Amino acid sequence: MDSLDRLVDKLCESSRRNFHNVYEYVTWPKAVEPESQWFMTPELCSLHGTEAWDLLDERAQKRLAFHEAVNFFSLNIHGESALMQGLALRLYGPRSRTMSPYLHHFLDEENKHSVLFGTFCERYGKKIYPDRKVFALGEPSSPEHPEQGDFLFFAKVLVFEEIVDRFNLAMSKDTRLHPLAVAINHNHHIEEARHLAFGRHICADLWAAGQRSWPEEERRAIIEYLQRFFLVSWREYYNPDVYRDAGLETALHGRVSKCNPWQLQSLAWEHPASVARRAAMSEKCKTFFAQISALPEVMAL
Amino acid sequence: MTTLATTAREEVRNWVLLHAKDLSEASLTDTTPLLEARHITSLLVPDLLLLLESLRQEPIDLANLKAGDLRDLRTIYARFLPE
Repeated sequence: MDSLDRLVDKLCESSRRNFHNVYEYVTWPKAVEPESQWFMTPELCSLHGTEAWDLLDERAQKRLAFHEAVNFFSLNIHGESALMQGLALRLYGPRSRTMSPYLHHFLDEENKHSVLFGTFCERYGKKIYPDRKVFALGEPSSPEHPEQGDFLFFAKVLVFEEIVDRFNLAMSKDTRLHPLAVAINHNHHIEEARHLAFGRHICADLWAAGQRSWPEEERRAIIEYLQRFFLVSWREYYNPDVYRDAGLETALHGRVSKCNPWQLQSLAWEHPASVARRAAMSEKCKTFFAQISALPEVMAL
Repeated sequence: MTTLATTAREEVRNWVLLHAKDLSEASLTDTTPLLEARHITSLLVPDLLLLLESLRQEPIDLANLKAGDLRDLRTIYARFLPE
């Protein structure tokens, strides 16, 4: 039995032990009060650290945090939708025989996460923010090396989940948040720990094999693509639709010179506080990819 | 054409030149296929959409967006930055 088989057994056992009914996992209040309760850790809001954030009163900050939470859950839904499609495609595939038992749990757990995220967004936010990653074209995987597609799939999942997990972990411990927000983030963090362990193992194995058999030019293209994916994944946390829904243009009119939703998006993205936050929250993920030599150590975000 | 629309179109063209692989000032025409020829990859599309939204000061209906809407500069101008 190799190390992947042992990991699959261990993760399957853990998933079975912690199996739960998602429809009984949380109690959904009839309504929530976005302006008087925190739904996102304020320090994790995209505008936190900017002058614009400081100019908002606490009610406006909470309103923004609520829409940021709906955006965070929305991008989880989009990420998990792509993830579930990729997992389903690989079930009992020619290169996934030993991992298929765990892929069933992975799929089941991702589906349950999406139930929680989707219910929150639909019930309280009345929307799911659309994904700007509208087309999935041009992945640099060679037909001669189908394992490249597997590596890219699991590497993208890992990037997405590592970032998300930093948010989940922080919010699962934040006593200022509404208990519902804490519960959803806590559930996700616990189950993601298994998915991340699996993803790291698969990515390391696939990349190690690829380094021996994939041409250097193809490996470079994969690295370049992954770097771009990392950047795009972070971009989604800075959504102009959120600023519009939170009414920031009105709230900041006359106090911040550039306050339309796209100007706020640029402000938030480029602000040194945001750059530092992204760097800190990406550290674990970047370290892993640097360790397996799949991404350069220094990567601007 | 208004000056505003001209400026916006120039910004889009400059953005494409900055990000597109293997395209020079001279080789980029209004009918150069951007996605099909992979000058612009799918992972650059979110940034292009944000740029277009900011230039026209209006969100884009993502649910009804088709790859053909971003085929080339002429299509992009007509679809998102009309005169």
